[in-house]
Parts: sequence; structure tokens; C-alpha cells
Amino acid sequence: MKKVIMGNHAVSYGVRASEVKVISAYPITPQTHVVELLSEMCANGEIDAKFIKVESEHSAMAACVGASAAGSRAFTATSAQGLLLMHEMLHWAVGARLPIVLANINRAVGPPWSIWTDQNDSLSQRDVGWLQIYCESNQETQDTVPQAFKIAEELQMPVMLVMDAFFLSHTYEIVDMIEKEQVREFLPPYKPDIKIDTADQHSFGNLAGPDHYMELRYMIQKAMDRGLDVIKRVDSEFEEMFGRGYGLIEPYRCDDAETILVTSGTVASTTRVVIDELRDEGVRVGSLKIRVFRPFPIEDVFEVLSKAKKVAVIDRNISFGAHGIFYQEIKSALYGRTDIPIIGYIAGLGGRDITPKVIREIADKAIGDEQPERYINWIGVKI
Amino acid sequence: MKAPRIPMEELMGSGHLACQGCGATQAMRFALKALGPKTALTIPACCWAVIDGSFPHSCIELPIFHTAFETAAVVAAGIKVGLEMRGDSETTVMAWAGDGGTYDIGLQALSGVAERNDDIIYVCYDNEAYMNTGIQRSSSTPVGAWTTTTPVDNYKKEPKKNMIDIMAAHSIPYIATCSVAWPEDVIAKFRKAKEIKGTRYIHIFTPCPTGWKFAPELSIQMARRAVTSHVFPVLEITEHGQKIEVWKDFEPTSVRDYFKPQGRFKHLTDEEIEGLERDVEQKWRRLLAKEKMMASIPGME
Amino acid sequence: MVKKIEFESYKEMPIRPMTLGSMMWNLTGSWRNVRPLYDFKTSPCILGCPTNENIQRYIYLVTEGRYEEAWKTIIESNPMPAVTGRVCFHPCMTKCTRKDYDEAVDINAIERSLGDMGLENGGWMEKSKAVKKEKVAVAGSGPAGLSCAFYLARQGYPVTLFERDKALGGVLRWGIPEYRLSNELLDRVIKQILDSGPVEVKAGVSVGTDVSMDQLEKKYDAVFLGLGLMSSRGLGMDGEDEDGIEPGLDFLRKVNSGERVDPGAKVVVVGGGNTAMDVARCALRAGSEVTVAYRRTRNEMPAIAEEIEEAEKEGVAFHFLAAPKELVRRGGKLVRVIFQKMELGEPDDSGRRRPVPVEGETIEMEVDRLFTAIGEQADLEGIESTVETDWDLIKTSDETGATSNPKIFAGGDVVTGAASVVEAIAAGRKAAERIGRMFAGEPEPEVEEPKTVGIEDMNTDYFTRSKRNLVPRISASEAKTGFSEIKTGYTREQLASEAERCFSCGVCNFCDNCWVYCPDVAIARHEDEYEFLYDYCKGCLICVFECPCNAISIREEGK
Repeated sequence: MKKVIMGNHAVSYGVRASEVKVISAYPITPQTHVVELLSEMCANGEIDAKFIKVESEHSAMAACVGASAAGSRAFTATSAQGLLLMHEMLHWAVGARLPIVLANINRAVGPPWSIWTDQNDSLSQRDVGWLQIYCESNQETQDTVPQAFKIAEELQMPVMLVMDAFFLSHTYEIVDMIEKEQVREFLPPYKPDIKIDTADQHSFGNLAGPDHYMELRYMIQKAMDRGLDVIKRVDSEFEEMFGRGYGLIEPYRCDDAETILVTSGTVASTTRVVIDELRDEGVRVGSLKIRVFRPFPIEDVFEVLSKAKKVAVIDRNISFGAHGIFYQEIKSALYGRTDIPIIGYIAGLGGRDITPKVIREIADKAIGDEQPERYINWIGVKI
Repeated sequence: MKAPRIPMEELMGSGHLACQGCGATQAMRFALKALGPKTALTIPACCWAVIDGSFPHSCIELPIFHTAFETAAVVAAGIKVGLEMRGDSETTVMAWAGDGGTYDIGLQALSGVAERNDDIIYVCYDNEAYMNTGIQRSSSTPVGAWTTTTPVDNYKKEPKKNMIDIMAAHSIPYIATCSVAWPEDVIAKFRKAKEIKGTRYIHIFTPCPTGWKFAPELSIQMARRAVTSHVFPVLEITEHGQKIEVWKDFEPTSVRDYFKPQGRFKHLTDEEIEGLERDVEQKWRRLLAKEKMMASIPGME
Repeated sequence: MVKKIEFESYKEMPIRPMTLGSMMWNLTGSWRNVRPLYDFKTSPCILGCPTNENIQRYIYLVTEGRYEEAWKTIIESNPMPAVTGRVCFHPCMTKCTRKDYDEAVDINAIERSLGDMGLENGGWMEKSKAVKKEKVAVAGSGPAGLSCAFYLARQGYPVTLFERDKALGGVLRWGIPEYRLSNELLDRVIKQILDSGPVEVKAGVSVGTDVSMDQLEKKYDAVFLGLGLMSSRGLGMDGEDEDGIEPGLDFLRKVNSGERVDPGAKVVVVGGGNTAMDVARCALRAGSEVTVAYRRTRNEMPAIAEEIEEAEKEGVAFHFLAAPKELVRRGGKLVRVIFQKMELGEPDDSGRRRPVPVEGETIEMEVDRLFTAIGEQADLEGIESTVETDWDLIKTSDETGATSNPKIFAGGDVVTGAASVVEAIAAGRKAAERIGRMFAGEPEPEVEEPKTVGIEDMNTDYFTRSKRNLVPRISASEAKTGFSEIKTGYTREQLASEAERCFSCGVCNFCDNCWVYCPDVAIARHEDEYEFLYDYCKGCLICVFECPCNAISIREEGK
């Protein structure tokens, strides 16, 4: 069944279909619709879950940590300051190896207060050990929720689903709805072997000396390494069942492209429009959407980008004092394997619109730049 | 031999990492004897994060989830709901936090849990300072005390926060204070708490020989003197904060006697001690007046 | 031994930071530099008791409701708790630690309750048989003789018990009035003792005269002399053998045998001991107006304080610092006694202040009959030649009753002079044990100085102040009209309540404190004892401090 729904609700419906058992969240613009609809679903029995209406995002993640450790499928959603407040518990979920799924609506971080999109909130959580999947459409958002749980539960690692504020969260699109009856086959109920259980007692998280800490961290990295295959496999299983797949990355008209624009989130859609335009003009360009940011699909990215002559990375984020964050990731993925120029563009911070015109400007700059002098190029800043 | 005064079952074992004479350890032992094997715990940063033992060993034969400092209450709530949603509604979930994790960094999450009346037992084992990090002041540290952050030249001037009133203000179904010097009372209160649904708050007074600078063999003596000197009243608050019952059936002892063996009060002059004695007595009188007043409210007789 | 879990590779580890075993591998006992140890001391009451009844133990057993075991504990050192529970001067209570806290535990009343239970429950007394060949003659069936016979019989030695009277019991029968110890009860006690083992009784046979010591020595492998003191000591005054003067013991003997007595309207009893009190109160019951004259003050009176109080309540008058000086007769009949007024001087050998006359001051008292109760004498006719004596008493070398004759042992008043029932019981028991060791060829055991405790060693936080449970008794006005037993004894509730007052000084009474408070779970609670688990005891010593009884001591490690 198809429905026209907003991006936030796509998350909620994805959660409903995934038969989540415990939800704990704290409202924040622009995430509010996610939790409002889930509250309603919990209240009217559409979903058999308990919603713990906590007093902060820190507690939201803490409650999810508790619930997940107890063996229940747990979900939360947040944005910006909320995600930052969760930071400590994001680490906890990873260290405790808890398959929690979090939907983060990308919102710029204050001050000054901003409610509009950029990726600095989620990308500043880059190193906590969560898998991160950036969604482009409402359909993908909905579909990614059960995928995320399946991946998380197999790896015993938490997964963050990321989407742009307003451009996606508040935008209505046609979505082919998934229902729990179907999804159950794809994502069976969560029944972990190890959990908080009085019949099988373990103490979790005890003080570990230098003798043990590193091995535990090594195993987290191994899970991440394995993650790329798991994500791919889960995605193809989903595709088999529902006819839709998303991959780790999504190349668009890259096969013979001399210049490839690297994007993520909703910018990917806009970019494809510009690519078509340029192709019509005979320019050999393509675009590459990075869907899975953690674990970073180095080989897949290399496979696509190494054939091009130039790579332009559009970052709706910035690592102050360095570069755009996707830019850094691409650069390190290609390092030592190719010497094609990689140029970074910072655009659209704090919700500034990245229109086809902006992307065209970036493409033109990238194509024209024979020997780029700077690796960080600000687009549209009033200088 | 006579029947044992407290249950024989030991859910806490030997080999743990507590200091000699640790009151917090006694408290845990009593609590677990009361609650029994269908119990799950969460422990935030506090002495017990260490006492439990080092990976991959634990001194407690129960599931425990060690959690971040400020999250004990809400993680417990999460565990409770998580257990329920996977079909286990029988297990008692207990958050076991120190005074730092309760009075200070964990107060927000605790308030959230209490306000929602989440179905957990929250325990504050009160050793009146950040002991695990090396004896820094907390808002539970009593006025007059030395800690490493309230040195003798500038000892703590602020009174201990009234955590009990804060909890009572949340109208939760059960609040109790107890001292490890009276194990039967501790056990009775945990058992009572176990049978109640909703947020139950138990505040247990646990002397710390290391942090208070007294000889470990005096641990129980301190736990007893704190109560008999009215420094730490033992009470129960039921009827969602409406009814207070203060335990008074003991021979009172002096605050000075309680202070004397403790190095943390050694710097206090006679006049200062007298002042603190007056404060303690005044607080005690206020508490008794409150007990009486609450009982006299129509509908509460 | 629980092992520490170690990993060679991450592959052996759980992916989660979770525990797989206990901390029991961590032997925290190595943190310790002092160790606690159970180290029971001897409760002061036990040291105070001449026969060293294990008072702490039997009171503990009472708190547990284990009355039979409690009674048997007494029987280990005293075969007649029903008697001592009535007549003992209970020096145990003088030593009771609780007297330094509120009031001593009424050990005597507890003993009586148990003693009575032992009489009601005949089955409690274990029977012994003559399994040994050595035979012993015991002369005298007072407390010393009965005790000696009992403990010999328990060891399996056949005993022949000689008594010069027709009825057994000695001083218990003729020296103690019915209102303190009835003959009926005494009969039951004696029967229980005699029935318990191989004791043959020869009553009406006086050792030394009816049967000679030579005969006894030939026929028996050992002889125990528990002859007691048979006659009142005289005043040493002119005319004391004439009218109006009567030895107190003779009077008591008449009263106790049920003879009608008429001491006259005004009676004076000279003396301050228990005999004096008994005589005075018996005379009172015979209708006389009675005054006790004593040459020292009330504080120096050897009589049991309670007896004095009771006598006073019943109406006996006391005249202190008065020693008889002259008897005044009219027409041969005693009419008046002139007393020398005394005052207290320097302490004598007994530690009591010696009375010295106040020159020229006398007191006169109208009197119909004067009873002497200033001490008693032994009757050693036919015996002096076989053992060494000292004055009129038998000389022994130690408390086991060994005399100058290796086959002959002695104990009780005939050795000590007028003393107490419990001391006689102790002497009889110790002699029986000594005789047993002699027969078995065992050496005398070395006795260590026992460690004891005082109030300063106790953790009084565990005690609450409480009044002694008063023993129910009939009123003084009712008491003096007859010979009914004055004290009626505790109810079970009172017994339990009084037993609960015991501090259990120096001895574990299983209060659980050590086990309960151990933060290291390093004390095992077994069926009948606790055990330190030194692998884990960190040496905090809370157990030592919190032991209410001081039953735990400290030892430095490596020493």
C-alpha cells in the first residue's frame, strides 16, 4: 500500500513494522513527529511497545541501553543537541554491544540556535562506534529502519539512521508502506542469547584492566569490518522481499565520468538532477551517494572513484580546523592508491538550501579547477 | 544454633574489592538477602563499580549492568521495561548508586524516573562523598567535614542536601532510610519495597572508614551512632509522600561521640561542634514536628 | 579453589564486556595484618561459682528453650540445682557483669527453675552403672557427701553412703528450715541422686563409732569424709549450759523434724550467719518476739542479704555491735542478757573490720531464751587418728580434698568450717574426680589461669537496661505464720525473660553479629559454630568490635 507521508512518519512506520518493544525519547525539533506518532501507536495498540517518556536525551539513550541489555528491541530518535547530550551513552551502547537503533534528524548545532539541517551533529559522533546510514528519501528511511535492526542485531552493534531536517523530515513523499507481518519474516523477533537474565547471570561492563580492554575494542572493530558485508547482505535480502535495495553507496552515471560529485542525504537527489543536466550538455560527470558512512565502504568507494579523473565532495558539515568530514573520509579511502585530485566543498550549513544552482556551481568549479589550490572551498558564503 | 537473624542465602560472595570495613558492601549483602535471586541490578560509577570485581569476574550472583554515572535510575527503568517486554515481569530491578550518583550527577534521571513512577527500587548508599575517586565532597557531605576538595582550612560549610524531602516531593509510593547497623531493619525495608509497585527509594547509610578516616572496626559503630545521635534519622515515608514515620525507639547518644572517631571532623573546635550539635537537634525536632503535623492532616489520622 | 579466568586470545573472550565467573579467586585474606579468632573466655559468674557451674552455657540454653540440655549442663558440676537454686548464697551473681550495667542476672532463680524442671522430668537424669571395680565409702549425706557419691557413681564406681541419722541430707535436712527448703523436695532430690547410679545407703550408721575407719579402709579403696559440722559453738560464757541457753542448731533440728517447740515470749539469737537467720525466723514462726544480736554491723553479716531482708520484713529485730557479756538469771531462769557495746576496729584476716568493745557501755535485753548461732563444730570422734586435723577440722592439702591419708579424702564444712552448700557440693565433686583419677592412675591436670572479661570488654550497645525479674514470693505477713516455701519460683515467661538478660560474657551465644556484619562474607555459619574464612577475611575487625560478648580476640599475623 502506498501512502503520502512525511519523512519523520516514515521513521515511525519503520519502527512499527520492526516491532520495536521499547521506545524512549525526548522531543526535539525537528524530530517531534517521530515520537508523537509513536506515542499514538503505543497508546492505541498499533505497536506493542512501551514508551518511556524520559526527561532528557541522555536518559533516552540510557533507557534504551537498559532495555536493550534486558533483551528487548529498543529505539530512540533525536536531533542535534539531543544527540550531543546522548554522546556518553552512545559510547555505552557500543561498549556494551547493544543493537539499539537511533534515528537522528540532522540539525545544525547551536549556538546560535538553529533548527535547520546540517550534518555536524551526527558526524561529530563519527568515532563512538555506531554504524551510520544516511537516508535520501522517505521510502529509504522507512525501509532502512528494519534493515538497521537486522544489521544491529546480527553485529550486536547500534545503528544510527540519519536524515536531513525538513528537507526530508518534514517533506511528504509517496511511500510504499511495509507492514510488520511481512517484515517479521525479514526481521524475526529479537531473542538474544546473552541478556540481563536472572537465569543466566552475568555482570556487564565491569572494570577491565589493560589486559582486556584492547581485545574488547578490537572485537568492536571486527564487527564494523564485518558490517559492510552484513549491510550488503541484509539489503539484498530486503530487496528480494520488498523489491527495493539501497546498497552501501549509490553511484549515478559514474561509469565513464571524468568528474564525480560525492554527496549524501537529500543533496544526492538534487545532484542527480544536475548530473542529468550536465550530461545533456555532454559533460562527463556522475555522482556518488554515500549511504553507509560507518563502517566506511572504502573498497566500494575506491572502485567507483578510482576510474574518474577528479572527485568533488560536497559536505554539509565541517570539521573545524580541518575539512569537510566526507571529504576527509574520501581522501583517506583513496590515499596511496590513486593521485586524482579530490576537492572539498562546504555548503548548506544551518539549513541553507543546496539548490541545483549551488550544485551546478560546485560542479563547474570542480570541472574547471585544473590544479585545485585549496582542499576546502566554501560555497555561497557572503564574503 | 538459633535461627539465623538474616537469610542464609548469600548472593554476594567473597573476594570483592571493597576496602576493609566497607559499609556499602554490608548494605549490598543485606539488600540482596532481602530481594533474593530474582533481582537484576544496575550500578553507575561509584565504589560498587569497583567492588563488584574486575572483568570477567563479579562477586555478585545476579545480573548487573554497570552504567554511566548519571544514569542509574533510568537504566534501571529501561531494564525493567525491557524485561517486561520480553516476558519477565517478575524480576525486581534495582538501581544501586552512591551519593554522588544520587544527590548530584544522577539527580535529573532519578527525578525523571520518580516522576514517572517507573517500577524500580532505587538505592542510594550514602557514604557522604565521592569515595571512589578519592574522597571529594558531594552534596551529601555533611557540614563541617573534611574532604580532599574541602580541606581543613576551608572545610565544608554547606549542610547536607535533604535528599529525602526531594524524593518525598515526587510522591512516590515508598521511601525509607536505614543504616547498616540494623540489618533486620534494612532487610525488612527492602522486602517491603519489593512488594510495592512503582518507584521505591531506599537510602542506606554506609560508613566509609577510608573516607571518613576512622578505624575499620568502628564501621558499624559509626552506622549506629549516626542514627542514635539524630544525625541520620531512620524513617519511612509512605502514602505517596503523605505519611512519615520516624524511628525513635533508641537511647540517644551525642553528636560529639559520633564525630570523635572520625578524622574528617578532627579539625572542628568545641564551639563548632556545639553549633553542629544544635543544628542536628533542630533538624531532628523539625522532622518530628513534620511527622506529627502530617499525621494530623484530616484524612491522614 | 576458584580460578581466575584468563584469556590467551580475544577469540576466547565474550564479545561483550561481561563476567564469566566469581571473584572467589581473589584471596583478600592477604590484605590482612591482624586476624580475628574465636577465643572464648570464662564468664565471671562461672569463676564466682564455687563448683564452676557453666552458668553462661545453661542460661544460653534457656534462651533457646533447650531446658533439658541446660539442666544437664548444671548437673555436670552440681547434682542438686533444685537445692542450690533455693539456698545458695550465689556468689556468681556478685560477679555478674550485668551488675556493673544495671542489676545482676538472677542466676539463682534460673537455676532453681531448671532444678525443678529436672525433678519433674525424671528421665533427664542419666543412669550410671557400676562398671568399675574400686569401691568408695562416703561418710555423711549432706551436700558434700551426696555430691561426691553422685560424681563417683557417674564414673561407674560403686559407692556406699553412710549417714548417722536415719534420714539423709545432713544439714540440708536439719539445718535449713522448711520455708527455704522443704523436706519433701529434699527427699525428691536425694532420691534422684541415689537412683541415678550405684549408690548403696547405710543410714543410721555413724562413721568413726558404729563403723570404724579401719574397717572402712579395709573394705573400700577410698573413703570420703563429708561429715559436716554437728554442733553449735559455745559462747564461752559462764552459765551457758544452764537454763535458757540453747544451741541454734539443736533448735533447728527440732523444728525441721516437726517437733513442737516453745522458745518463749522473748528470744535473742546471737550470731549473724544464715543459721542465726534460720533460728530467728523459726522462733518467730513459733510465736516469739525475736531479736538478733550481732557483734558487728549489718554490712559484716555473713548471712545471705536476702535472708536478712526477709527476716526483717517478717518482724525480726536486729541489734548490731552487741556481744553477750553476762547472763542474768532469776530463780535459775534466764531473764536478761547484758551485752557489751562494740565498735568496728581494724580489719581482721577475713577482711571484715574487727569488733572491739567500747569500754563501759553495755546494753541489757529482756530474754526468755537465747539461741547461740555463732558457729558450728565438727564431731571427729573415731576419725582424728586416721587423718591429720587442724583445730577441729580435717586438714586437706588442696581443693580436691586429699588428706594426710592417701586413701582418705574430705570435703565440705568438716574441712572448711561453716561454709556453704555450694562449696560443699564443689568439694564433693572435686574429690570424686580426684578419686577417679587416682583409680585410673591419671595425673592431676594442670589448671590454667582462666581468662575472663568485665563490663569494659563488652559492647553494651547491644544491651538495653532492664530490671531483674523478681522471683514471685508469698507476702512476709503470710510467710511468718507458717513454713510454706516463701519463694514460689519463676514462670516460664519470667525465666525466659531473665535468661535473656545474660550478657554471655566472653562466650559466643550465637547472636550472629560477626556473621551478619562481615563485609567480606568471610565467616561461615555452621550448625553449632562460626568459622573464619581466612582466605577472605580482610582483617577489618568489625566482628571483634561488634561481638557483644567479647568472644573474639585479635592476633597479629605472623606471630
